[in-house]
Parts: sequence; C-alpha cells; structure tokens
Amino acid sequence: MIENLILFQIVISLFLGGALLGLVSRNGRFARPMIFIPSMMGSVLTVLFSIGVIMTKSLSWTVPNMLPFFKLEIFVDGISAFFMLMIGLVSFAISLYSLGYTKEYESKKRISVFGFLFNVFILSMILVAGSNNGFFFLMFWELMSLTSFFLVIYDHDKEENVKSGITYLVMTHFGTALIFVSFLLGYLQTGSFGFDSFRTSSPSFPLLVKNLMFVSAFVGFGTKAGIVPLHTWLPKAHPVAPSNVSALMSAVMIKMGIYGIIRTVFDFAGFGASPDYSWWGVLLIIAGSASALIGILYAVIERDIKRALAFSSIENIGIIIIGLGLSIIFASYHLTALSVLALVASMYHTINHAFFKGLLFMGAGSVVYATGTKDMEKLGGLVKKMPWTSLLFLVGAVSIAGLPPFNGFVSEWLGLQAILSSSQIPSTVLQLSIAFASLPFALTIGLAAAAFVRLFAMTFLSKTRDIHMPHIQEVPRNMIAGMAILASACILFGIVPFLGISLLSTAFHLPSQPSSPFDAIALKNNDSTSFANLSMPLVAIMLSAVALAVFGFIRILGGKTSKTIYGTWDCGFGKLNERMEYTAASLSHPIRVIFKSLFKPHNVISKELFVQTNPYMVKSIKLHSTTKNIFEENLYNPIISSTLFVLDKIRKIQTGKINSYLLYIMLTIILLLIFVRSSHA
Amino acid sequence: MPSSPEIILGIIQALILMALSPLVTGIMRKTKARTQKRVGFSIFQPYYDMIKLVRKDEVVSDQSSWIFRCTPWVNFATIGTATFFIPVFLSHSPFGLVGDLILVIGLFGLARFFTMLAGLDVSSTFGGIGSSREMMTSALLEPALFLAIFVVALTYGGTNLSTLVEAASNSPLLPHPQLIFAAIAMFVIILGETGRLPFGNHATHLELTMMHEAMVLEYSGKSLALMDWSQSIKQIILFTLIANIFVPWGISSSISAVPLGLGLLAFMIKISIFAVSIAFLESSIAKWRLFRIPDLISVAIASSLIGLVLYYL
Repeated sequence: MIENLILFQIVISLFLGGALLGLVSRNGRFARPMIFIPSMMGSVLTVLFSIGVIMTKSLSWTVPNMLPFFKLEIFVDGISAFFMLMIGLVSFAISLYSLGYTKEYESKKRISVFGFLFNVFILSMILVAGSNNGFFFLMFWELMSLTSFFLVIYDHDKEENVKSGITYLVMTHFGTALIFVSFLLGYLQTGSFGFDSFRTSSPSFPLLVKNLMFVSAFVGFGTKAGIVPLHTWLPKAHPVAPSNVSALMSAVMIKMGIYGIIRTVFDFAGFGASPDYSWWGVLLIIAGSASALIGILYAVIERDIKRALAFSSIENIGIIIIGLGLSIIFASYHLTALSVLALVASMYHTINHAFFKGLLFMGAGSVVYATGTKDMEKLGGLVKKMPWTSLLFLVGAVSIAGLPPFNGFVSEWLGLQAILSSSQIPSTVLQLSIAFASLPFALTIGLAAAAFVRLFAMTFLSKTRDIHMPHIQEVPRNMIAGMAILASACILFGIVPFLGISLLSTAFHLPSQPSSPFDAIALKNNDSTSFANLSMPLVAIMLSAVALAVFGFIRILGGKTSKTIYGTWDCGFGKLNERMEYTAASLSHPIRVIFKSLFKPHNVISKELFVQTNPYMVKSIKLHSTTKNIFEENLYNPIISSTLFVLDKIRKIQTGKINSYLLYIMLTIILLLIFVRSSHA
Repeated sequence: MPSSPEIILGIIQALILMALSPLVTGIMRKTKARTQKRVGFSIFQPYYDMIKLVRKDEVVSDQSSWIFRCTPWVNFATIGTATFFIPVFLSHSPFGLVGDLILVIGLFGLARFFTMLAGLDVSSTFGGIGSSREMMTSALLEPALFLAIFVVALTYGGTNLSTLVEAASNSPLLPHPQLIFAAIAMFVIILGETGRLPFGNHATHLELTMMHEAMVLEYSGKSLALMDWSQSIKQIILFTLIANIFVPWGISSSISAVPLGLGLLAFMIKISIFAVSIAFLESSIAKWRLFRIPDLISVAIASSLIGLVLYYL
C-alpha cells in the first residue's frame, strides 16, 4: 500500500523532472537523452505501479491544502490502473522511439520545448486516470488537451498545421465543456465535486439527472475519443503532429475518452440494473457502428498514411464503443456473464488498439523519417530498403485487420460472440436491432483488412512510385526497438489471450477468470454444450505444425529445385516502369465506386490537344478526382457559417467610437442595478 | 481431454479434406468440359499437375520481396489449419475445443491478406487488378458470410462446429425456415469466395475475368502448386461446410466402423453432387460485370437478414 504510494510519487517526480530538464536544456548531444530517459523510467515505473495496484489493492491519496476549496484526491482502482498500465507500456515504447525520431527536429527547432510538453502530456494522462475529484480531473484533462495541442502544432511553420491544430483546440474544448456540464449536474445533486460523493449518492439521483449526466458525458468524452460525427479533428490533427505525438494521441489519449465513459457509466452515473437504462447502450451501439463503418470507409480511400491511420482509429473506437454498449444492455437486463463478456471484448480491444495503433503510427513516422513523405502515391518498395520497419509494420497491419493469430482477432472474436449472445436479451426489439448492428460490425472487419492491405502494399511493396525519391535507408536502432516492443505485445496478446483476459478480470474485479494459459476461451450454452471455443496457443502450434509438415511433404515429393530471378512478366512488351504500377487510388477504386453515395467522388478531366480543332490528337490528359467529406460539408460548414453570420451582426455594436462604449457601460450598470434590486425584493 | 481415437479421427478428417481437394477441382473441370461437349481432362489431372509443378524450377520476379516468397507457405499453413476444424464424416471433432467457425473465417482472411499482398508485391498490373477486385469482393463477402453464420449459429446454438453439425444432424429435415435463407446466402458466398462464375472465371487467363488467377500469375513451380492446392482446399472446406450444415444426412455421430464408413460415403456423394451442380451452373451463366457483383452480394446479405428476422420472430 505504502510502496504503491511511493512508487506513484516517484512516477510523478520523474515526469516532472523530465519536463524541467527539458526546460533548462539546450540542443546538444545530451538533450534527447535528458528528455526521454526520465520519461522512459517514469513509464516503466507506471507499469510496475499499475500492476501493483491491480494485484494488491486500490491506492487513495489525498493532498490537503492545495487550494482552499478543492482537495487533490488521487484514487487509483483497478480501472484506473488498467488505463495507467496501457499508458505506461505505450509511452515507454514511444519514448524509446522518440530518442531517435526527434533527431530530425534537432537542426530546426528547440527539442527542449518538445521534451517539456511530451513529459507533461504523459503525466497529465496518468493524473487524469488517477484523479478522484471532478475539479482536478478537468484541470488535468485541460492540461492534457493543451499540451497535446502544442505538440500537434510543434511544426508550426506551416500554416496548414496551425489550422488543423485550431480545429483540434476548438473541438476538444467543446468536449471539455460538456464534461463540465456532466460534473456540474453531479455537483448540484451532491454539493461536491468529489467522485466519492458521486459514487455514493448517484443511485438516488432523479432519472432525468442521470440521463442528462450520461448524455453530456458521452458527447463530451466522445469528442475526445473521436466518435462520428465529432471525429473531424482526428484526421486533421494526427497527420500534422510529429509521428511520436500522433502515436501517443491515437494509442493512448483518445482512450482517455473511453476511460471517462466507463467511469461515468459504470461508476457513478447511478447506473442501475434496470431496462430503463438500456437505451444508453443502444445509443452507444448506434454511435459505435456509425464510427466504425464511416471511419474505415474513409481509411480505405485515403492516400496520406497518417490520415488513413487516424480514420482507422475512429473505426477502432467505434468497435470499442459497440462493446461497451452491449455490456450496458446486458447489464440492464441482469445478464451479468454476458455483460462481462462484452466488457472484456471492449477493453481487450482498447489495449490492443493502443498496441497496434502506437506501432503503426511509429511505423508511419519511420517512413516519414526515411523518405520525407507520407503520401502513399509516392512511396513503395520500402520492404527491401527498410526490412525491419516493414516487418514490424506488417505485424501491426495484420493485427489491426483482426486476423489470427494476432491480438486484433481475439478481441474481435470476443466482440462477435458478444453480439451473437444478444439472443438472450428478453426483448425482441433489442435482439433484432443488435442483430442488424452486426452488419456494420462485420462490414467494418472486412473493410479493415482491405484498408491495411492497401496501406502496407502501397507503402512498402512493389517499386517506389516517385522516381525522384532520395536514397533511403533503415531507421536507427532505437526507433526499431520502440516498434518491436509494441509488435511483440501484439503477438503476445494474440497467442496468449490468457494474459489480457486475466489482467482485465483482475483489474475490473470480474467474476470469471481463466486458470491456466492453455485454457481455451469457452462459452457455454444453457444445456452446457459448447457454444464456442478458442484456444490461441493451440492455434499457433497447429499453424506452425502444418507449415512444417507441408514443407517436408513438398520437399520429399518434389526434391530440390532451384530458383531463377527474372523480371516480372510484361506480356512481352518491354520494360515495366513505375508509372504502370497500380496506385493507391486505383487499388481502392472499386470500393470508391460501390460507396459513391458516401464519398461523392468528383472527377475533372482536362485535356491538352496538339491542335485545338482536332479533339482526337491528345497531347496530355489529366484526371483530378476528389471526394467530399460529407460531415464537414453538411454538418460543420453550416454551423460555422451561421456562427460567423451571427458574430458578424454582433460586430456592428463595435463602432470604435468612445461615446458609444460609454453608453454601453452606462446601460450595463443600469441593467445590473435593476437586476440587483429585483433579486433582493 | 478428448480420447486418442478422437484425435486420430480428427486428423484423418483433415487429411481427407487435403487429399480429396484436387479431385473436387478435377470433377468440376470434367463436368464443365462435358457440358460444353468437350472430352476434358481426367478427373485426376489436378494431381498430375501438382506433382509436375513441385518438381519444376521456379522463376521469381526480381521486383518481389520475402512477402512474395513466403505467401504460398502462409497460405497453405492457414488454410491447412482450417481443415482441422471441419467435421467431415464424424459430427464432432476434438479440434472443436481449439477453434470455431469464426476462426476458420479468420484463417481464410489471413490467407487472403497475404495473397493480396503477393499480388501487389511483384509490381505487375495484373497482380494489382486482381488484388483490387479481391479487396472489393472480400470486403463485401466477409460481412455476408458473418451474417449467414449468425443465422446458423443462433439456430443451432453455437459457432463451435462440432456443436453446430451435431445439432444439425439431430434435427429433422429443414426444421427452421431461416435456414433456407441462410443456405441461399451461403451458396452465393461460396461462389464468390471460390471465385466461381459469375464472380470470376477459373478457366481463362484474360485480364477482364481474372481475380484469383491474376494475383497468382507470377507464381511457378512449388509455389504455384501450393497456391493452387490451398485454393482447392478452401473450396472443399466451403463445400463441406454447406453440405454438413444444411444437409447433414449420413454424418456419423459415434466412433464405430459402420457409421464412419457410411459417413465417409455420404460425404463423398454429397460433395460430388455439389461440385457437379456448381459446375453445371457455371456452364449456364456468364460472368457479371464487376460492379454488378455487389448486387449479388447484397442479395446474400438481405437473405441472411431475413433469416435473422425469422429467427427472432
């Protein structure tokens, strides 16, 4: 107990130390180690601390007299510790990676500012997960938002980057405001911002207050998580941020939104187990399905690697939210075992997504580091020049596509089983609507494989599409090590799901726990026949056994044969060149055609003729194809333009003459006096 | 723990699927030839082709990477592993404790992932066109397949194939109306997954009709043999699934010689009838335009959704 507390204090001081070192240091040989070694140490200790909390008991720590009215209360229970563990693991890998990655900024900018913000950012996320008081929660939340904003616009020389950063800033504050509303509702009921008081008295809140608290918290936290239609900041902020920052934001920060939703729903919005609350789950499932499907559809057609990854984060958040929604519905009908199954599926996917998305963003960062571009149409052929990066990226791509024997498959398998179990809900309407929700879920899984085949193949395979690409070489070793840590986590959590499931069931105090690593995940029917079984260690063994057996069989049957290296078949027409290759746009063209009602593709063909009068002799022909972002055009642009319109009208009172301002002051004073008078009367 | 005869029978079932898969391809080719008034090759021709191929030297593209080289092995390992979960003549398999139908779909997905990568790896436009079309159809077929599985799993109480086939074999002939819709969906999906007409055409090497063939165009020798073999195994797995889930007649539920023999016989008859009828169907229809294929898949999806509604009502 005491040890955990001391560990926690060391974690805080390490990150603060890293931040301070960042502030005092100048660019030089020691600048990067001075920033990132404290954050690596802090991350390791965070992992140890959170495992300690999960294994032993919750930590609560109150720092008195920080501010007159608010005590800084830290309370780390299993749920917080689970999220802290995720933060620790991922930020360790990313800090290691950053040691090499930030080198490219050294000649251009002060690394120290970056180091300060980086350390404070990680610390603020840990503190968000640990704070037990609405006031401090919001303060750390704001700190997290602001440091990440400054990290996003670290490359602020380009105007585009600042613009995207501003979008992020506005959206995140919209979210914070709604979270504040939710806490304020709790404050009005209990007279305190402490989470403890929310927890104890929330069951007695009126139903309306609970519903309002839930909705505002869901929208507020959902903005951070990137739920459609509040997702627009993600595909803008992630591509412009330095890749290690996008990795942190996408792998960990958006999960704090999920943490917030779990905290509000399962801990203190007075969630009662009654069908009255099942609509919360339905809302989550609808939002989750929309996010999953729309996110992945945009990821399939995107040509910017990092933006495609950002869209895929929206998709994965959608899958997580669907799981949470199912869990709420099951819980509201007292189907505890199924509720646990859905929660495990959702949380397993949360930690999996942290692993593979961190890995993929780091991989994308390595590509940018080596080539200087993140445009798939220019890349290609990196598999031979960057073998390690491409192998690790492939692990991430296969995992996120939900294919066995990697971790994404396990969580999606659990999610599908949870959806299948909806037949036990005693309400036909819910059964049918969840059954229909399985369509977007399954479509998402199918499209995710397509999106990541395209992302990997266009970036790493075939020939480099841009012939002017400079000499490319593999990234430094510490960057590879950072990626390798998360890649091995992906493999480990895929082959031994026992690790993840026992971690989750201990952290969340779930009733059922697997006993040995070789136990299959077993779901039973009512008559105790097996509904579904999955034993990933055995699957992995079978895969390698079959591979070995067939290797031997083919070798014995065919004997030794030789391999000749020769050019790709070109139908006898001569040299194939880069311009004849399939491009990213042509690869996803069929999908773009099928879903044209969403993408609204618009093609402009411009021809240049040899002789203006002869349309058949074409000198050059160009096709410019664009797709529309329906959310920006149909939802955000009207809001922005109407806001600007109103503000424009209001601006008329700003005449610039001192006399009119004096008039405004006098009018205000008179109004205030009337108000005071009337309220006293 | 399952007993050792069970495990041995489970392995035998898998080996039978692997061994018979080229024969099914041969039967289908023969049927197509006869319906087109040709004599056609012997039904054992796929075996001769395979033996010839594994003894040949390979030509590998200079553009390709290790992805291209390892894909045939990954492909075979995943699809070969999938055979272990499929009940062939015995309704329960000990490997049902290891994985279920969703795992089988996942393994197919892994094989397809690598095949698509290999198609793109050699920087030939043929590979690109094949992968691009495969990307589209598989992204749509996968949800259709999941929905069909949902209907079946809900009806028979499990995605565990042993539970599923056992429940199917114990129930009377077409006891549930939703199964008809699931069967329609499954049939369309199987045509798509195996690249049969109207989705693709195995018989030509013309870029207009190519899908799977385009992705494996660069392969030769041992690698080509493996790619072709895994494709036939995938085909026989899907045929076996549809046969044993929707027409589970004759499948044995006990481990003794007579029922097992009858089960094997029933399996071979069912698969042959299925293969012949699909080949007949292929001869009588033309390939569809690529962008009409989503219409066909939506028929499968709609049919599964009707099945789901019927299950709950």
